[in-house]
Amino acid sequence: MASFSRRQLAIYAVDQLLAKRPASEVSRHLAAALIAGKKQNQADLLLDDVAEQLESRGLVARATLTTATALSEELRARLTEQIKKAAGVAEVSLSEQIDPTVIGGFRVETTEHAWDETIARRLEQIKGGI
Amino acid sequence: MFSLNTQFASGSGISSLGIELKSFLFQLITFIIVLLILRRWVFPKLVATLEARRKTLEESLVQAKQTQETLERAEASADKILHKARVQADAALADAQDQAKDVVAQAETAAETQAARVLKEAEQQLSQERDKLREQLKGELADLVVLTTEKVLRAKLNPREDAKLISKSIEELK
Repeated sequence: MASFSRRQLAIYAVDQLLAKRPASEVSRHLAAALIAGKKQNQADLLLDDVAEQLESRGLVARATLTTATALSEELRARLTEQIKKAAGVAEVSLSEQIDPTVIGGFRVETTEHAWDETIARRLEQIKGGI
Repeated sequence: MFSLNTQFASGSGISSLGIELKSFLFQLITFIIVLLILRRWVFPKLVATLEARRKTLEESLVQAKQTQETLERAEASADKILHKARVQADAALADAQDQAKDVVAQAETAAETQAARVLKEAEQQLSQERDKLREQLKGELADLVVLTTEKVLRAKLNPREDAKLISKSIEELK
């Protein structure tokens, strides 16, 4: 059996999902390909590649949100909508994490974009500007 | 002869003078013999000896004159040599003085150049140290400002204010 690169597998997976193939079936195919290529330990990396493909095709962006305090539902909804516009995707999968070192504001990172609106970054900018 | 004999005979010639003729003749003959002997064997040797002495004296005089001339020439030559040596010594002394002046001038120039270089290097080093210190102070000031600002913000920034800040930032997200 031919060995495929992770990028080729990610493209295949997205193509199959867009073709309305069941996600479970696509997952089995990917697992089989990883095992055949002896790349079982690269499953997480493959998922990152799939997420990148999804975001680059304007489908789904997997975003990581970092704040000093937990966001309200209203702010989370507004931020999600704004990320959709900024990243040019139809859906956003948002995962949140609390980090007091950012002091205030937020930081959002996707596979292809990053927005840092934290007070910690602004302080670093001030420090660099002095 | 006749006249002489006549005079002798007469007893009025030499005899009248108290001279005895025989004795006189004998002495005359003896004188002649002695004269001949001297002329034959003594005078030539004596003359030769005297001539040799004269020649020796002349040669000595010539040699003395030559020696005198040689001495004079030697003195003249010595004077010339001394004069020449004095002139050369004066020239050498003048050259040495000139060279000494040149050496001193070169040493002064080199010292001035080196002093200028050392001064320039010191100024550069001082400038570098000053810039380094300025940058260090700047960094420390920045750290201090940021630290102070961070402390103030942590004290002042409550969840409500943070929410306002996040809301404003969401609007600016592009």
